[in-house]
Amino acid sequence: MGTVAGAQQILSGLKEAGIDLVSSVPDINMLQLINLLYQDKEITHVPVGREEEGIGVCTGAHLGGKKAAMLMQNGGLLNSCNGLTTTALQFGIPVLLLIYYAGDIGDNAFHMVGLVTEPVLQGLGIKYIVMRDPAKVKQDIAGAVTLATSSKRPVALLLTRAVL
Amino acid sequence: MKRFECLQTIAPLIKDELFVTTAGGATAEWNAVHPSDGNIQVKTLGLCSSIGLGLAIALPKRKVFVFDGDGALWMNLGSLATIGLHQPKNLIHICWDNQQYESSGGEPTVATAENIDFAGVARNAGIKSSQTATSVNELKDAVGLALKNDGPHFIWARIEAGRAEAPPLRYDELENKYRFIRYVEETEGVNILRVPPPASYLLK
Repeated sequence: MGTVAGAQQILSGLKEAGIDLVSSVPDINMLQLINLLYQDKEITHVPVGREEEGIGVCTGAHLGGKKAAMLMQNGGLLNSCNGLTTTALQFGIPVLLLIYYAGDIGDNAFHMVGLVTEPVLQGLGIKYIVMRDPAKVKQDIAGAVTLATSSKRPVALLLTRAVL
Repeated sequence: MKRFECLQTIAPLIKDELFVTTAGGATAEWNAVHPSDGNIQVKTLGLCSSIGLGLAIALPKRKVFVFDGDGALWMNLGSLATIGLHQPKNLIHICWDNQQYESSGGEPTVATAENIDFAGVARNAGIKSSQTATSVNELKDAVGLALKNDGPHFIWARIEAGRAEAPPLRYDELENKYRFIRYVEETEGVNILRVPPPASYLLK
């Protein structure tokens, strides 16, 4: 489910980095963060039914001047691969990908999706950070948003339970 | 009715609306009829409706058209539910249904068997203003209604197959994106693309 403190730190990190629109598909480990997004007045929250839709929403939002992030589980990263490739990467769209890292060390389910997550990101040419240190959460978010903006590409943050 | 005739009929109704156009024949035809930096092409089949939704949410005071196709909408049919959920008042979503994957050589789509009612699907997904057009005049009226009233709007345009002689786009997707964003910046008075100053500028 994650902790309220962890979710609050991520949300304030997103705001400090200028993110003003988040599209999402839930995972139980991001429940607190999703709950905060539903209540938040500053960030436009756009729930979608399938993650690739969210890549489209974030792209359209960028074209209209928003700083957008897509919040999803790593299974959703796999659902999004064509949209990431032929829209986000091909058009050069900065999108922050906030991905819950299911199947990570210590996880007891979804080991296959955990196994392929980093190779898929590498194959797509998407830079990423595995977030394991709660003390570095804001720094990692700020750095990822800076790189996404300057490179005009998606950049991924893999959220582990340690930071949620 | 032919898509090209429909597009020619719509063009005089357009002022500064933005257009997100599907990976299909509608894109080249629309850019031939209405060349504008307010047109953005889409390369991912099915994603135009989602990109249009994001754009409409980002610019709630600007009308946003989505030109979809029957094959593309089939691939992202869930986007109708998502549009129905978020209710963007400024979104006008037109599905040009020629009952085939025309850009892929004419294979059948879900629409070919005529079992599906796209306007009914949209309406039941929560898009109350959902219209069907089978003639150029019906389409013109439907677009006129959508331009005058709050949406979201969905228009099922049932067209004949066949592409008009339209030249290929002059711009690749990157140039198209930059021109589109600069057009949004100019017409909305906002700054979207910022280039960071070189580090040497920070030296005192």
